[in-house]
Amino acid sequence: MKVTAQPADSTLTLILDGELDASSAVVLDTELNKPELLKYKKVLIDCQRLSYISSAGLGVFISHLQRLQDANVKLVFFNMQEKVFNVFEILGLDSLMNIVPTQEAALAA
Amino acid sequence: MPNIRPATWLLALATGSWLVLLLGTLSQGRPLLGLPPDWPRWLLLLAQGGFAASVFLYVRLQPDALHGHGFLPLLRRLFWRGLVLTALMAGVQGFVKLAAERALPLPGDATAAVGYTISLALFIILLAQTLYVWRSLVNFRGSERLKREWTAFELILGAALLFQLLVWHVPDFLLLAVIVGLGLFGVYLSGHQRWVAYLSQGQKVQAIMLQLGVLGFLSAFLFVLRGAQHDPILLAPPTQQAFLVLTSSFAVFYAVAGLLVTLFNLPVADVYEQRRAEILSLQQLSQIIQRGQTAPEIYQALFTSAVQTIRADAALLDAQLQPTELPGAPITSLAHELTPADREAIRGQQAALDAPGQREFLDNDLPRSQRLTGLSRPYGSAAVLPLRSSTHDYGMLVLLKREQSGFDPEDLSILHTFTTQTVLSLENLQLAQEARISQRAQDELRIAALVQERLIPKRLPTDNWFEISTYAQAAKEVGGDFYDFLHLPGQRLAVLIGDVSGKGVTAAFHTAQMKGIFHALMQPNPLAKKERERYPDPHRFMVLANEALTHCLERSSFITASFYLIDYEAGGFSFARAGHCHTLYYHSIKEEVSYFRSEGLGLGILRDASYGRHVKNQFWDYNPGDVMVIYTDGIPEARNANGDEYGEDRLAQMLSESFYQSAEEINRHIRQDVQEFSKGLPLHDDQTLLVIKFKSAQPQG
Repeated sequence: MKVTAQPADSTLTLILDGELDASSAVVLDTELNKPELLKYKKVLIDCQRLSYISSAGLGVFISHLQRLQDANVKLVFFNMQEKVFNVFEILGLDSLMNIVPTQEAALAA
Repeated sequence: MPNIRPATWLLALATGSWLVLLLGTLSQGRPLLGLPPDWPRWLLLLAQGGFAASVFLYVRLQPDALHGHGFLPLLRRLFWRGLVLTALMAGVQGFVKLAAERALPLPGDATAAVGYTISLALFIILLAQTLYVWRSLVNFRGSERLKREWTAFELILGAALLFQLLVWHVPDFLLLAVIVGLGLFGVYLSGHQRWVAYLSQGQKVQAIMLQLGVLGFLSAFLFVLRGAQHDPILLAPPTQQAFLVLTSSFAVFYAVAGLLVTLFNLPVADVYEQRRAEILSLQQLSQIIQRGQTAPEIYQALFTSAVQTIRADAALLDAQLQPTELPGAPITSLAHELTPADREAIRGQQAALDAPGQREFLDNDLPRSQRLTGLSRPYGSAAVLPLRSSTHDYGMLVLLKREQSGFDPEDLSILHTFTTQTVLSLENLQLAQEARISQRAQDELRIAALVQERLIPKRLPTDNWFEISTYAQAAKEVGGDFYDFLHLPGQRLAVLIGDVSGKGVTAAFHTAQMKGIFHALMQPNPLAKKERERYPDPHRFMVLANEALTHCLERSSFITASFYLIDYEAGGFSFARAGHCHTLYYHSIKEEVSYFRSEGLGLGILRDASYGRHVKNQFWDYNPGDVMVIYTDGIPEARNANGDEYGEDRLAQMLSESFYQSAEEINRHIRQDVQEFSKGLPLHDDQTLLVIKFKSAQPQG
């Protein structure tokens, strides 16, 4: 999986491309662990090209949820494929995380 | 080079004495160099003896020309030298004859005298060459005693040289007795023809030819010299009879004996004995090594076998017990006939012996190469064998013999076989140890799987109100899925199913923990006021379980679970879903298959009191004939060869095909379809499938 970071002003967009499983989860974890991440007001996750997410991938977001919340950084997912959204939904993360349909909605969130 | 000086001296002495001999011979019957004619006989004999002695000693000082089993090169060299010497002699004799017949303007007796003296010198040179080639052959694989006997033979030959000088009037019978005695000694020495046993058929033919040639050259010289001595024209003193007779007869006899042995291939018993010993020793070694359980035992077997087979006078083996490059790794050290100081001296020179990548080698002349110096006793030859595989250096074996040329390439190849076998065994040992360690890890994993297996309820709750069928399959030895049942008083049944995120042993630990939490929370609360409150409802169960997990679940892990509390007296159940797969349900009145799409957050995701807001308690009244299918994500997420997922739709389809059957049949129908779907592929995730069918039958009795 490929993770591309696009910083813009107070917003950081992470573009995920591929399958987020146990092995690629490490890459994302490294990205989210960067201290400068907490300087942004929003971290947007572009899921358009995210084709699969495993429980290890979910675990990465879960483990950073509290830290980002404490630092007042909003975590917003957008452009999520239905299959991936189902995984979030079944686990109940849709009630906990900000998942919006489009980039515009994400920027407005 | 320490022996240049004596060699130079000997050459000078030989030349000087030959010149004196030549002049003395020429002085017979005529004045020479202003000196009176007929120089005294003793001077000529002295000159002759001096020449013979210096030539023999000179050849003796040359390094042994025999290298390993190079008998043919040795004989060939002797043959060519003999040929050159004989050709020279023939040329000289031809010239003398020519001078006599054509009446060249030369005094006939003088040319004869010069020719004779030159021929005599050439003969002595040939004899010396032959004698020392024979020495190499006699001493090949000979004992120390044989070498002493040879030295004695040489000393007596030397003494014979003095016979006619010192003892002026030797009685004939005494001379005869000495000559016969020495001759017999020579015959005895001629019996040592071990080298013949090492020749191949083709080599034997060549050896016979070469020996015949050498015999021919010797005969030619004897014939010419004897003839010349009876030539009336020659006025020369008699030759050193005893010495030359003895030496030439030995030379001839050894050649003849060698010829006979070669021709008839007479077995030389002790050579075969030694061969047999080598084979036996090799067999023993490989047996010991096969039996050997530990590296020190293998080294000990190698060391003993090598020392015994090669009959080394001293030996040292330094080797690592484990193949490791670390300094200070444990070392085993075995020594034979070496003082601690010797060992240190050898180790000090180890670096020079063991150049990286260098194979084993022989040094048959330690005094000359100055290797392995400073030992308490002088050693003549050494064999050095590194114990080395393609990947590791185990150590080095050093064998020493007191005499020079103690080892031959045959020895080296035997030792090489020993060390190769040893290294092989050491590597096998290493592999066996690694296999044992990996076996232990597998055993422990198997035990973990057994423990987990025991956690799965074996006895399913049975009642006339419902049927339960279970199926569980872990993808690895241990899995992250779990389920459990508990009968509660008042005709209630608690059912728990769940899935720990992640795989392997960590996940397996948490399944055990969940089981513990389940049984702990399902203890009756004695403070409860109402019967219904004695046990936590599903929502409360999830909140308490989430709280219990907060302290032990790693931050990135979570657990999904569904908890059902079935009250079959009331014909309904309450349940809560914590991020777990939606429950599949067949509604018998509506004749409809559907999923309970409810909200609920997985356990361990929110670790504070707010979790309670994210999980809900739900109620459902069931009818007889309703079917509940509870499963983990390994079922809908099973994949086929194209990577497609099995999916909730196909699962629902399976239930609609089989709802009227028994719980066990429904379960089998679904799992067979899943297995068919991902046929030939390894299990991607743990799979658990529970089917509960509610029945109309009233409880009996």
